[in-house]
Amino acid sequence: MQKSYLIKRILYAIFIFFVVMVLNFFIPRIGVDDPAERYYPPQGNMTDVEYDIIKQVTREQYGFDVSNLQQFLNYAKGLFQGDLGTSFRPGNPKVSDLIAERLPWTLVLSVTNLLISLFIGLMIGTIAAWRRGRWQDTLLLNMSTISTALPAFFLALILSFYFGFELELFPAYTNPNMVSGFDWSWEAVKVVMYNAALPIISMSIGGIIGYGQGTRNAVIAVTNEDFILTARAKGLSRNQVIFKHTLRNAMLPIVTSLGMSISGLIGGAVIIEQIFNWNGMGTLFLEANNTNDYPLMMGIMLFMSAFAIVANLVTELCYSLLDPRVTVGEKR
Amino acid sequence: MKKKLYHLLKICGEGLKRFFRPIGSFIGKLWRHPKGRIGLIIVGLLILTAIFAPLIAPYDPYDVTERASKGLSPSWNHLLGTTITTGQDIFSMLIYGTRVSLIVGLVTGISIAFLGAIMGILAGYVGGLADTFIMRTVDIMLVIPTLPLTIVLTNLFGKSYFMIIFIFVLFGWTGLARVIRSLVLVLKNANYVKAAELAGASRWHIMIKHILPGVSHLLIMNTALTCAGIMIAEAGLSFLGLGDPTAISWGKMLADAQSGGALLFGHWWWIIAPGIGIFLSVFSFMRIGLVMEEILNPRMKQSSNIYKIFKTLNNNYLEEVFESMDESVILGDFAEKEEEIA
Amino acid sequence: MNESELMLKLRNLKVIFPSGQGIIKAVEGINLDIEKGKCVALVGESGCGKSVTSLAIMRLLNSPPAIVKVDELKLDQEELKDYSDGKMQELRGRTLSMIFQDAMTALNPVMTIGKQIDEIYIRHNHLSKKEARAETIRALDLVGVPEAKSRANSFPHQLSGGLRQRVLIAMAFACMPKLIIADEPTTALDVTIQAQVLNVLSDMQKKHQVSLLLITHDLSVVANMADTIYVMYSGKIVEKADKRDLFLSPHHPYTEGLLGSVPKLSDTQHHFVQIPDSVPHPMFKPTGCYFHPRCRYKTKKCEERMPPLVKIDENCEVRCWHPLHIKGGGSQ
Ligand SMILES: Nc1ncnc2c1ncn2[C@@H]1O[C@H](COP(=O)(O)OP(=O)(O)OP(=O)(O)O)[C@@H](O)[C@H]1O
Ligand SMILES: [Mg+2]
Repeated sequence: MQKSYLIKRILYAIFIFFVVMVLNFFIPRIGVDDPAERYYPPQGNMTDVEYDIIKQVTREQYGFDVSNLQQFLNYAKGLFQGDLGTSFRPGNPKVSDLIAERLPWTLVLSVTNLLISLFIGLMIGTIAAWRRGRWQDTLLLNMSTISTALPAFFLALILSFYFGFELELFPAYTNPNMVSGFDWSWEAVKVVMYNAALPIISMSIGGIIGYGQGTRNAVIAVTNEDFILTARAKGLSRNQVIFKHTLRNAMLPIVTSLGMSISGLIGGAVIIEQIFNWNGMGTLFLEANNTNDYPLMMGIMLFMSAFAIVANLVTELCYSLLDPRVTVGEKR
Repeated sequence: MKKKLYHLLKICGEGLKRFFRPIGSFIGKLWRHPKGRIGLIIVGLLILTAIFAPLIAPYDPYDVTERASKGLSPSWNHLLGTTITTGQDIFSMLIYGTRVSLIVGLVTGISIAFLGAIMGILAGYVGGLADTFIMRTVDIMLVIPTLPLTIVLTNLFGKSYFMIIFIFVLFGWTGLARVIRSLVLVLKNANYVKAAELAGASRWHIMIKHILPGVSHLLIMNTALTCAGIMIAEAGLSFLGLGDPTAISWGKMLADAQSGGALLFGHWWWIIAPGIGIFLSVFSFMRIGLVMEEILNPRMKQSSNIYKIFKTLNNNYLEEVFESMDESVILGDFAEKEEEIA
Repeated sequence: MNESELMLKLRNLKVIFPSGQGIIKAVEGINLDIEKGKCVALVGESGCGKSVTSLAIMRLLNSPPAIVKVDELKLDQEELKDYSDGKMQELRGRTLSMIFQDAMTALNPVMTIGKQIDEIYIRHNHLSKKEARAETIRALDLVGVPEAKSRANSFPHQLSGGLRQRVLIAMAFACMPKLIIADEPTTALDVTIQAQVLNVLSDMQKKHQVSLLLITHDLSVVANMADTIYVMYSGKIVEKADKRDLFLSPHHPYTEGLLGSVPKLSDTQHHFVQIPDSVPHPMFKPTGCYFHPRCRYKTKKCEERMPPLVKIDENCEVRCWHPLHIKGGGSQ
């Protein structure tokens, strides 16, 4: 990888982050003259005088009493010191603390789901490509048309109904003690696994089939390339052709979709978390929305965007390591 | 000034015509394809259901006053039973839910097609600053988490399907624009476009008369797939309660079922019914999209079909084909005929 | 001719591709002899089945989609048609190798060219990686790749078209095989580079006494290299002759047409004899002689019956009812 390429990509990522930051700053200010009106919308039983006082207090508390530019500079300064803002919640906890508390629980679901989807998907995708046109391939194709037409949250409801309520095999709602009582003991880990089973299964069915179909298409596309014929003409055995030439090239599109999955790791499970009452980032965001907690909402959004930016950057760099053509801009 | 405006309008009209014209021919092609036909039939039925919902639905789905018939199981009176909390007829709700799903899916899909085509063609054909600006925007949109932003925006502007469509379009055009752009970059160098440029045709003229028809197939295919994706997303948002709270939609039905105790009391039909609705609508649009893809890249399909063809091959026939190529057959034929002549 | 003098003896090769619409007859019963150390050219327009023939000799056609039938496929008196896959893999690259048309697509884009050549030595000569690399550098040197040592570490996209083609030649000659098939080795190149690459190929062939099957659609390419020329049309051989005879007195109207499209310095104002239309679709071939729709000399007989391949003299065969330049004139 060339150094100039690396620097260019990093600078570009910083630029994107800056734009996202500006957007994030302005979104709560859309449509109102005074952001305090967003933070504390007028209540029905309030007189104008009372509301003015509340607004005044809010302005002071959140630093809205200076010019917009100054506010933005303060906001940016805070961000660079790692301050994502302060929540409305009782006790005014830091947004970053709330995120730090919830993030691991979301990652438990999404990372496990991604690993399962990726590995099983790669496996069945390769098999389907190998047995192309045979029943394995047809089965995968049919499964993929069915599974993409069924939203994951519908699957989650069905699973929660059948395994949670009917068979009572797994909990349909997460046990609240799971989070508070977590102490890294084997018992606690087992409780987490038990509670995470249904959410993870409902997410990964679609993931497995998606990655399976993607792998299958990628492998078949590479199999039709001329250089595979060259490799066979050199006398390489079937396995050598597959492992040294086919898979390496088939990885490229898979890395791209892996990058997309990774950038969605934090924000991709909102509905599933809500269904299973899982205490992650998604539920945190919905709680913030219900309480009109703008600092918390915007803080989470910015965090998710930053995560996605970093994920995209890393994916791009990995891609350029795998594909020497990228750095010279010949193919993307 | 007036003349210019007239000219512009004419070009726009031409553009619209070219935008919609390929659809007719595509429906014809779809109909001739067995899988495509299934998709078309389901979409047709769904559209009819949406239009004639009041005639089909046996009850008023908004009627929450039927206190006596709460939580009924499926029967001839109530095909899919009634809701536990309010006693609404689930079958009627299912019928009415088609409307939201189709309207949101189609309106968003078509708007995205417009916006994506315009942006993609501008970025690809005009290039330069327009390209940079559009592609930067695409990159930015890509990292903003869609669902949270949607939640924030509905919080800001109130919950309605208009809002949902707006956000979907705002975020949905980016992928399409990318695809279109890369195709336009190829088309740009095609001989007929170069020829038109040399002949002095205006940029707008070329984009509408030469580039747009070149991307229309890809556009239609993507629109069908987008519609399918949007229907799933709409169901998700409605499930979270971000849609119009007064409308009946499948996503909201699922949310009601969950909160209304369908899981607890074992009323599985209350969950399955909207699920089937979502499945059918998404499935049919996806089918159409995939069949179009197949029509566009016939090679992909052929190569998978070949195994089926090989299974049904008739060995005797193959022998005959091979034999007909033999030199001795050609010679023999020749010798015989010569004899006849003699 | 004595069989022991033949490097390749191909008898009655037929290849068809069944498809949904019907059967594509790609190759219809071809005989081909290549003497040891000689260069034989196979000439014909695009789509006439040249590549399919070469892949069939390499036994690289996949079934499905192809169905291959051949009476004899003897390489140095060794019958290959019943070889197992494993034995065939041993043979390819070592005794029988191939140069593909477009070096850009025929080389693996994510592997250095050095590694791609190393593979051959590792596979067939059982060398260590280091020994293989030394051999690779020598092989690259032989085909005139400058600074072979450092070039071995470049990726295909970093080389010019001419160099890439040389890399393919180096690959084919790596183990000094008995027979090399070059499938349009210069078509993707500029005219000046074409000549250089052909020279390299020709020098290598003469120096190492390797038999060469040179496939091309351009008669001017073979003018300096080939000893015997086979002209192919729509899956059938229409003329076989020594190079001199063929250029001086083509017997088949198609050959005449091909020669006509080779510009000659001598006739400046004279006609280019051009062949109208193009090759028939391999699924819907005309009745009678396949060439008759495009033939200037066609008669009723041509439309009705396929002419047999007739021996005109020792080294010359033609498939035509009305061959040209026959002493004594007249048809047949
Ligand atoms: N995999 C395949 N499936 C179906 N048909 C094929 C396949 N490969 C080749 N053919 C058919 O076989 C015929 C001969 O193809 P071939 O590639 O040998 O032509 P060619 O003489 O090498 O042409 P070119 O000069 O373009 O390389 C073509 O008309 C093509 O339609
Ligand atoms: Mg070829």
